[in-house]
Amino acid sequence: MAIIEFNDVRFTYDGQRYALDGVNLRIERGSFTCVLGGNGSGKSTLAKHVNALLTPDEGTVRVLDADTSDPESLYFIRSNAGMVFQNPDDQIVSSVIEDDVAFGLENLGVPTEELQGRVSRALAQVGLQGFEKKETAALSGGQKQRVAIAGVLAMEPQILVLDEASAMLDPRGRKGLARVCRELNEAGLTIVLITHFMEEAAQADRVVVLEAGRVVLDGAPTEVLTQAERLRDLNLDVPFATSMSMELREGGIGVPVCLTTDELAAGLREIAPHETGRLAEELRTRAFKPTSCASGTEPILEFKDVSFTYQPTPKRKKRRNAVQTDATPADWGNDPSEYWALQNVSLELRRGEFFGIAGHTGSGKSTLIQLANGLLQPTAGTVLAHGRDLADKRAAAEARRDVGVVFQYPEHQLFAATVYDDVAFGPRNLGLSSDEVEERVRTAMSLVHLSVDELRDASPFALSGGQQRRVAFAGVLAMQPTTLILDEPIAGLDPQNRHAFLRLITELHDEQGMTIVLVSHDMNDLARLCDRVLVLNQGKEFANGAPAEVFADEARLRSVGLGVPDLVHLANLIRINFLGGN
Amino acid sequence: MGNDALFGRYWAADSIVHRLDPRTKLVGTIALVVIMFCAANFWALGFVALVVVALFALARIPFTQALRSILPLSFIVVLTALFNLLFVQGGKVYVDWGWLVISQEGVALALFTAVRLTLLLLSGSLLTLTTTTLDITEAFEKLLGPLRRIGVPAHEFALVMGIALRFLPQFVDEFRTIRAAQLSRGAKLASSPTKSGLSSLTSLLVPLFASAFRHADTLSAAMDARCYHGADGRTRLHPLAFSKRDASAAAFLVVTLALTLAFSVLF
Repeated sequence: MAIIEFNDVRFTYDGQRYALDGVNLRIERGSFTCVLGGNGSGKSTLAKHVNALLTPDEGTVRVLDADTSDPESLYFIRSNAGMVFQNPDDQIVSSVIEDDVAFGLENLGVPTEELQGRVSRALAQVGLQGFEKKETAALSGGQKQRVAIAGVLAMEPQILVLDEASAMLDPRGRKGLARVCRELNEAGLTIVLITHFMEEAAQADRVVVLEAGRVVLDGAPTEVLTQAERLRDLNLDVPFATSMSMELREGGIGVPVCLTTDELAAGLREIAPHETGRLAEELRTRAFKPTSCASGTEPILEFKDVSFTYQPTPKRKKRRNAVQTDATPADWGNDPSEYWALQNVSLELRRGEFFGIAGHTGSGKSTLIQLANGLLQPTAGTVLAHGRDLADKRAAAEARRDVGVVFQYPEHQLFAATVYDDVAFGPRNLGLSSDEVEERVRTAMSLVHLSVDELRDASPFALSGGQQRRVAFAGVLAMQPTTLILDEPIAGLDPQNRHAFLRLITELHDEQGMTIVLVSHDMNDLARLCDRVLVLNQGKEFANGAPAEVFADEARLRSVGLGVPDLVHLANLIRINFLGGN
Repeated sequence: MGNDALFGRYWAADSIVHRLDPRTKLVGTIALVVIMFCAANFWALGFVALVVVALFALARIPFTQALRSILPLSFIVVLTALFNLLFVQGGKVYVDWGWLVISQEGVALALFTAVRLTLLLLSGSLLTLTTTTLDITEAFEKLLGPLRRIGVPAHEFALVMGIALRFLPQFVDEFRTIRAAQLSRGAKLASSPTKSGLSSLTSLLVPLFASAFRHADTLSAAMDARCYHGADGRTRLHPLAFSKRDASAAAFLVVTLALTLAFSVLF
């Protein structure tokens, strides 16, 4: 029996373009459906229709046999079809976890005696038992999303809709969320998951692909996700195992088309047991950038035993000793009492290098970035730019000009009335003449492939997400830095934009000769692009070296919740299988 | 960050004062303020000061921390005292430099106002140090409850207050990032905020407001999705309940008021 039914649904926000344009969809009770689609394909609009946050302009949506347009069934539908949104920070109502989880129940008028029990049960279902009294602000993004799910579960719904709920999470948060979804589905909950991530889609039992408000592909993951050509046309990714197995088939190795790396490894071992050793070597080589001698040896940025704490000065002396001896890591969230944001980190960045930094949210990456251009001063140790100590104010000011930083979600820092003014903000602060400013804006915008003449007077807020980010990039490039630090520059973008931005960054490195520091969660990108990689864990250096060395020990990286590039993972799997086979 | 007491921050501890019903504490704080204004001389004010010190002791908050918590606001005390010192004249003249005249009454009033203001700030700080923002919000809602009949949206007021408090730490974080980003683009913010000009200021404020609107958009959808429809028919996870403690607190405040009035009249 269908629990959700879309019948010829059309919906428009502005009366001009249909966000949903004739959607017919039946979702079965207890199923796990994944909805894919590029930006603007209508995924989120579809999700909001399930929860009756939006109602169709034409056609009908029926949830649990109730019409979403019927005001009488509004709360019946909303309490039975729970929804989790993209930004973990935007959906939490209260400062204390249990109050937040209880919010929906309170609205439904559930008697007070029942509340505490249901709140605790819901928290246990998402693996957060005992968190009732904690403050929501102290949680990690992944934990916040689980609190949001608990808030929905407390209402004992039959459907859970996740609208890109994992888009802003780090890999560890994403894994936790995926596990919770799977467990809930096994317990009988119907799940509708909207996502950009193919590994998540591979877990579902049905995949629906939207484009321009229409369902264009619909079927089991094995049917949909294997249509590589079609998916690429729709600006979507293909799961790694799928594209890899298809490539191997073309190369004459007859593995079945697979969805997961495990399947592929098993298939490879069966079909070509004697070639796995050679294959593993090949895969490993392909994962990494060919060693280049392009980068010079001149260090332009050096960290020497740098430690940093956000604790105010008077407390430092008192707590320094006490905390250093206490090495137990925080077992939940970003422990606000964690003393060191960064501890004894040393690194050397050489001119022309492509340097990668990996680590979870809260591992000290953002702190490191701000130390690198003199925005923060180390609590201990020294930071040198071109051999000059950044503790010196003048050196710090110069470093700020020389080291450009693109912060996370840089489009959130746009402010000017026109694109031109926003990009010109930096050059104008340097006190340049208007001709020089014009020149710099032109250069910067051409570097990010935007046309000054077209966008000059446009409001940055009226642009699409991808374009906004380009403008923000240009604003940093207009300072003409020689080094560019990018803090998760592709976070929250759809696959098409992700590829475009990575290409852009590679161009800046290869063609403009800029030194690049890329902070990323994606081990594939780091391995493929970087000359060297630093892995941070809880403010400390975990690994540092050429990608091939850093990603050599998969088990060690997994132990802190990080991973290795897909190619390396596959290589390791078939080698293990190969050895096991003997 | 850090564990220092700060005006407006909760000081986690288990004490009689912490356990009082937040409504009692809210009304009690207002009552204390009234009492302070009833105190007409130093004797009465001294007595109120003793009561405030005793309350901090009962709340198990070290008095040094209590003073520290109001330190950022101490400029109000200093300014008011200075005004009194300079502009109130009468009695014996201590200093007379033509434009600057300091006289007996000025000194007395300056001192008196300084003490009274300090006590006011301390009692406000005591409320926030011993009560979570959520409890204050709810007490506020309950106390405004009767006004709902004449159309005051008490629940909505309280909810807005609660949500504002919930988003405060987040906006502080976002502001920090925005500031760092604009500084990296050469914004002259650190050196002199007054000279940095409008464009540098808007470079901070516009993104912050844009972010507030973005948050508000999703938050309202998220609240709708969880069946929010105003105060009607809502239940509470932790309904407020008065206990004997609250009765004792009320009695204590009445006695304090009586004694303060007595001191004021008798001396």
